Amino acid sequence: MSSDKPAFKYPLSWRILDHAENVAALWPRRWSPLTGYLLLLPALLLVFVLVIGLVYIFDYSLHELDLATYRLKDAFSLVNYHVALKSATYRTVVLRSLGASFIVTAITTVLAFPYAYVMVRARSSGTRKFLLISLFLPFFIGQVVRAYGWLIILGKEGLLNTLLASLGLPPIKLIYNYPAVVLGLVQYMLPFAVLLIAPAITAIGEEIELASESLGANWVKTFRHVVIPLAKPGLVGSAVVVFTLTLTDFAMPEILGGGTTDFIANSIYDGFFQLSNPGLGSALSMILVTLGSVFVTVLFSLAGTGTLVSRENVR
Amino acid sequence: MTRKQNSGQKLSRRQFLTGSAAMVGGALIAPGLVFASTPKKPKEIIVRAWGGAWGEALKAGVADGFTAATGIKVRLDFTEDNEIKPKIWAAVDQGRVPPIHVNWDTTTNATISALRGVTVDLSDLSNLKGLLPLAKPIGLKGYPLVNTYAYVYVCAYRPEAFPDGPPKSWNVLIDPKFKGRIALYDDGIGFTPVAVLVGGGTRKDIPNNMEPAWQFYRKLKKNKPLLGEDADFTNWFQNGEIDVACTISVNARAAKQKGIKVSWTVPKEGCKVDTDGLWVPKGLPPNEEYWAKQFVNHALTKEAQQKWCSMLGLPPVYPGIKPPPDLVGDVAYPTRPEDFKNLLRIPSKVLVENQPKWFAKFNEIFQG
Repeated sequence: MSSDKPAFKYPLSWRILDHAENVAALWPRRWSPLTGYLLLLPALLLVFVLVIGLVYIFDYSLHELDLATYRLKDAFSLVNYHVALKSATYRTVVLRSLGASFIVTAITTVLAFPYAYVMVRARSSGTRKFLLISLFLPFFIGQVVRAYGWLIILGKEGLLNTLLASLGLPPIKLIYNYPAVVLGLVQYMLPFAVLLIAPAITAIGEEIELASESLGANWVKTFRHVVIPLAKPGLVGSAVVVFTLTLTDFAMPEILGGGTTDFIANSIYDGFFQLSNPGLGSALSMILVTLGSVFVTVLFSLAGTGTLVSRENVR
Repeated sequence: MTRKQNSGQKLSRRQFLTGSAAMVGGALIAPGLVFASTPKKPKEIIVRAWGGAWGEALKAGVADGFTAATGIKVRLDFTEDNEIKPKIWAAVDQGRVPPIHVNWDTTTNATISALRGVTVDLSDLSNLKGLLPLAKPIGLKGYPLVNTYAYVYVCAYRPEAFPDGPPKSWNVLIDPKFKGRIALYDDGIGFTPVAVLVGGGTRKDIPNNMEPAWQFYRKLKKNKPLLGEDADFTNWFQNGEIDVACTISVNARAAKQKGIKVSWTVPKEGCKVDTDGLWVPKGLPPNEEYWAKQFVNHALTKEAQQKWCSMLGLPPVYPGIKPPPDLVGDVAYPTRPEDFKNLLRIPSKVLVENQPKWFAKFNEIFQG
C-alpha cells in the first residue's frame, strides 16, 4: 500500500452537494409534503409585507388631514373617499387612466401577437435572435429614458418636425398630450406583451396548424380558429399585465403629458407629496388597487387565468 | 533641575505677534483645528438642494466655503423638495435619524414642517444678528427656519415672439396667438394670487375670494398651457416649445446664461415675491445637528450670501450686498421699498393654510 499517494478527493461541486443533502436530511421525512411550501415562504413573506403596507394605507385613508399641524386626525372619517369620489377632477383622471389602459392593451396585443408569432416560428435562428435582442434592448434603457427619447423625436425641434420643416411644412405639436402618452406606453408595454404571448404560441404544435391547412383552411381561418384560441392563455396573461401596468403608470403621463394628462398614480403622488395629505393619497391608492383588482377578477372569470396561473390551459 | 517659570512673565510684543501669526497660519493650513473644541465632526453633511443652476450656486457659494473652513464634506441631495418632506416627517415620528442634515426649502414648505414640529430652533445662530427682517419667518416662534433670500415669479418670454416689446399684462397667457406655447408651474405656485388680480379681483380678495383666479384659469386652460417644474421651463425655452411662462427669475436667467434668448418682466398686475430658507430636522445625533446648524450659520455670512445669491441672481437677507452687474435695476431683483410696490408677498400663514386648497382647485381646472 502506498501511503505517498494523495488522498482521493471528490470534485468540489460534489462535496457541496453532499453537504447540502446532509443539511436537507435534517428536515424530517414526514414533513416532506411541506417542502414545496417552504420554498414558497420567502415569496409569501414578501406578499405579506405588501399586504401589511396596504393595511396601513387603508388605515391612513380613513383619517382626515389637520391643516393646523399637517398630521392626520385621530378620528375615523370617510372624508378622503368623499373628496376622491365626488371630485370631477379625480373622476376625469380615473376615466383617463382606465381609457388609456384599454387602448394600450388593445394596441399592444395587436402589435405583440405577430411579433411573438414570428419570433417563435421563424425558421432562421438569426431572425429569432434578432427579434429577441430587439425585444430585450428596451429593458436595458428604462422607462424614463425612453420617454425622453420620445421628447427628442417628437418635440418641436425634434426629428419629425425637423423633417417636416425640411419639406417646407409647419411644425406639428406631437408631445404633451394624451396621444403622446398612449404612444409612449404602447412602446413600453410591447416587450411585456410579447414575452407573455410567446410561450403560449410555443405551446401550439406546428403540426396542428399543418393539420388545419391540410383540411382546407387557409391561413386566415387557421389563424382565427386554431392559433388565436390556443394562444388565449398568453393573450389573457398579456392583457392582465399590460392593463395593470398602464393603469398604475406614473412616468409616461408625467413626462409626455405636459402636466395636464395626469393618471391616477400622478394624483396619488400629488396627494402624498405636493398636498402633504397621506389620507387623500391613500384613499386614491385604495381606489386604484380596487379598480385593478376588479378588472383582473372580471377578466379571469371570463377568460381564465391564462399563462399566469393555470398549467392545464397551456397545451 | 530648575524649571523655568513662565507664570508671571510679561508677554513681549514680539512673542505676541509670533504666537498670533502661528495661530492664524495654523488655522489657514488646517482650518479644522479652529473648531478643535467643538463636537466631533461628521465625515460629511447632506444638504437637500434643487438641481441645475440652483445646486451649482449652493455648492460654489456655501458648501465649498463650509468645507474649506471645517474640513467637512458637503453632499448635495437633489431629492425633490416635496418628496423629502414626508421622509423627514416619518423619520422624526419613528425616532429614526432623518435622511438629510439641512433642508433647503421653500418658506411655505418649511413652515409646514415647522408647524408639524420637526424643525430644530436656530435662534442661537450667531450670524442671525443684523440680517434683514426678511430672514425671520413670520408667525412662528423663534427661528425654526431662516429665510435666506427673496425671489420673484416673473413673466419670462422669448423676445422673438414679442417684437413690440415685453408683455404688459398677464393676459398674454390667454391670447390665442400663444395657444399651447405658454407654461406655468404644475401646482399653480407663484401665479395663483396674481391670477386673482388678472381675473379682476383685488389684493383684499386673497385668500377669501379666489373666484377671479379660477375664472382666469378656466380661460387659460383653453389656451393649453404646459405645466411643469423648474427644470422644465429651461428645457422648454431651449427646445422652442414655449414663448411665455410664469417662472422664478433664476430659471429664466439660467436659460439666458446658457445662450437661450429669454427675457423677463413684471407685468402691470404685478408678480408674486416669495422666499426660500434653510432648516435642520430634529432627530440628528447631537454632533451632526451642531454641524448642520453651523452650515446654516455659514450660509448667512456676508461672503456666502454674496456668492450664493449673486450666482442665483436673487436679493440676499444680508444687508448691503450689491446686485450682480446684469441685474442692477432689474425688476426681478427688488432691494428698495418701491421695488416691492408691484410685487405681491403673501404671508406664510395664508399660504400654509390655503395653498393645498388652491392646488386642489388648480388641479380640478387643469386636470378636469
